[in-house]
Amino acid sequence: MNILAIETSCDETSVAIIKDGHKEIATTILSQMNTHAVFGGVVPEIASRMHIENITIVIEDVLKKANMKLTDIDAFAVTYGPGLIGSLLVGLMAAKTLAFIYNKPLIPVHHIAGHIYANNLVKPLEFPLMALVVSGGHTELIYMKEHYNFQSLGSTLDDAVGEAYDKVARVINVPYPGGPLVDKLAHQGNDSYNLPLPLNDDSYNSSFSGLKSAVINLVHNEKQKGNAIIPENMAASFQNRVVEILTKKTMHALKDYNVKNLIVAGGVAANKGLRESLTKECITNNINLIIPEIKYCTDNAAMIGAAAYYAYKRGDQADLNLNAKAVETLK
Amino acid sequence: MKYLFIDSATANLVVAIIIDEKIKYFFNEHTANDTSSIIMKVIADAFKTANITPQELDKIFVSTGPGSFTGIRVGLTVAKTMAFALNVPVIPISSLEIIASSTPDNSNIALIDARRGYVYAGIYDKNLNNISPDKHIKLVDITVSGTYISYDNIEGAIKPNVDILKVIKKHENSSRVNPHTLNPRYLKLTEAEERLQKND
Repeated sequence: MNILAIETSCDETSVAIIKDGHKEIATTILSQMNTHAVFGGVVPEIASRMHIENITIVIEDVLKKANMKLTDIDAFAVTYGPGLIGSLLVGLMAAKTLAFIYNKPLIPVHHIAGHIYANNLVKPLEFPLMALVVSGGHTELIYMKEHYNFQSLGSTLDDAVGEAYDKVARVINVPYPGGPLVDKLAHQGNDSYNLPLPLNDDSYNSSFSGLKSAVINLVHNEKQKGNAIIPENMAASFQNRVVEILTKKTMHALKDYNVKNLIVAGGVAANKGLRESLTKECITNNINLIIPEIKYCTDNAAMIGAAAYYAYKRGDQADLNLNAKAVETLK
Repeated sequence: MKYLFIDSATANLVVAIIIDEKIKYFFNEHTANDTSSIIMKVIADAFKTANITPQELDKIFVSTGPGSFTGIRVGLTVAKTMAFALNVPVIPISSLEIIASSTPDNSNIALIDARRGYVYAGIYDKNLNNISPDKHIKLVDITVSGTYISYDNIEGAIKPNVDILKVIKKHENSSRVNPHTLNPRYLKLTEAEERLQKND
């Protein structure tokens, strides 16, 4: 089954063709990152404007790469949420139009299900598994006992982890997008600043706004005292707390649910500090860890096409009234 | 000839199918914020009622704005995707010209509320010739006299009663646009871009 999938939930216009949920035939990703960098973050209306300018170009490109025609496609899949509403709508309208004119199934895919299924493009998922989803908009621990069965154990109570990275980056004068650069700086610095371990409790929830505020206050206080902040050390101190608490909660969930498979998904899965920490703990505890290649960590339509196959097998199919959802729980 | 017409830029969604100069399907309702969820169902209904398939289309006419940013994109994405996929010629039309088709007057001032005292305004004569280009302007700065027409509650404006056949006749032989370059005419920068310009 060849699925053409469309992902436009944030600032990447992406279209992919995936066969049977695991074989990537072709993917095209058009990133708007450089445009938004000027504004220090994603501007929703600009993102929507760029999606409509590029959507048919990206569809044509992926068909060319795959050497296929739209009539070769068995179903059309699309990210319907969560995400930026104006951005989501462009991909959604394109997918609905294609499903309508070719009279093929329209498969709605939750963005986070996509991130999890990015791993299925690398290696077939093994169940039961625990998924740690970490990105600019999400921080969530999800238990899966079988394909396309999601049980959320906990999530962030305030900022998503990637969001905290971007805000801390701004405070220590690291340009947008700050996450990857903070990660890089952290590896050059020492954990010398006294920062709290956030939401260090027995729940599977997380909270990063307190830690972020602690960084802001510390920078502010040091400035008032006339002391210079060492960005490398601040990055290292911040990253160490984030990685420590995420690793702790994840290992705790694996133990409680007696699960031996861990997958990490989302943009922050590219974080070197987090990768190193989880790798070490998983070896110690005999856990099978899967982290996708960097190219599958960030937003892309290949992951949506992979998830769509299993969504379709579960019976997920939308009619032409399908609407985009800015906020949506994974079910 | 079989034509599809879409205008989703204003508070009223207009979808029509015209076959050999006769309207076979016509939808014109105040859909406001529901446009994105219902438009595809309306279009599907249009083809069913007219008893044709999208593959049979000879041309697509679509409004490219100005108007609601999201509204424009919703209908335009459908038109772009359909024109690209089926290689059907697509022809862009101003949403203000469509509104101006409502009366036989010689100075039709079509208006769309753009908030904070601003409107999108375009002036068209009875043959839909553009007298004053569509623009984003303060309502009080419009000095030309004529018939004010708007879906929105603008003082002195009459409600539109659009004449789709007249609009299509005017554009029937206009040259087709490459779907890849068929884009909205917002006539207004995003707020983020405006702020950036001010700071420069």
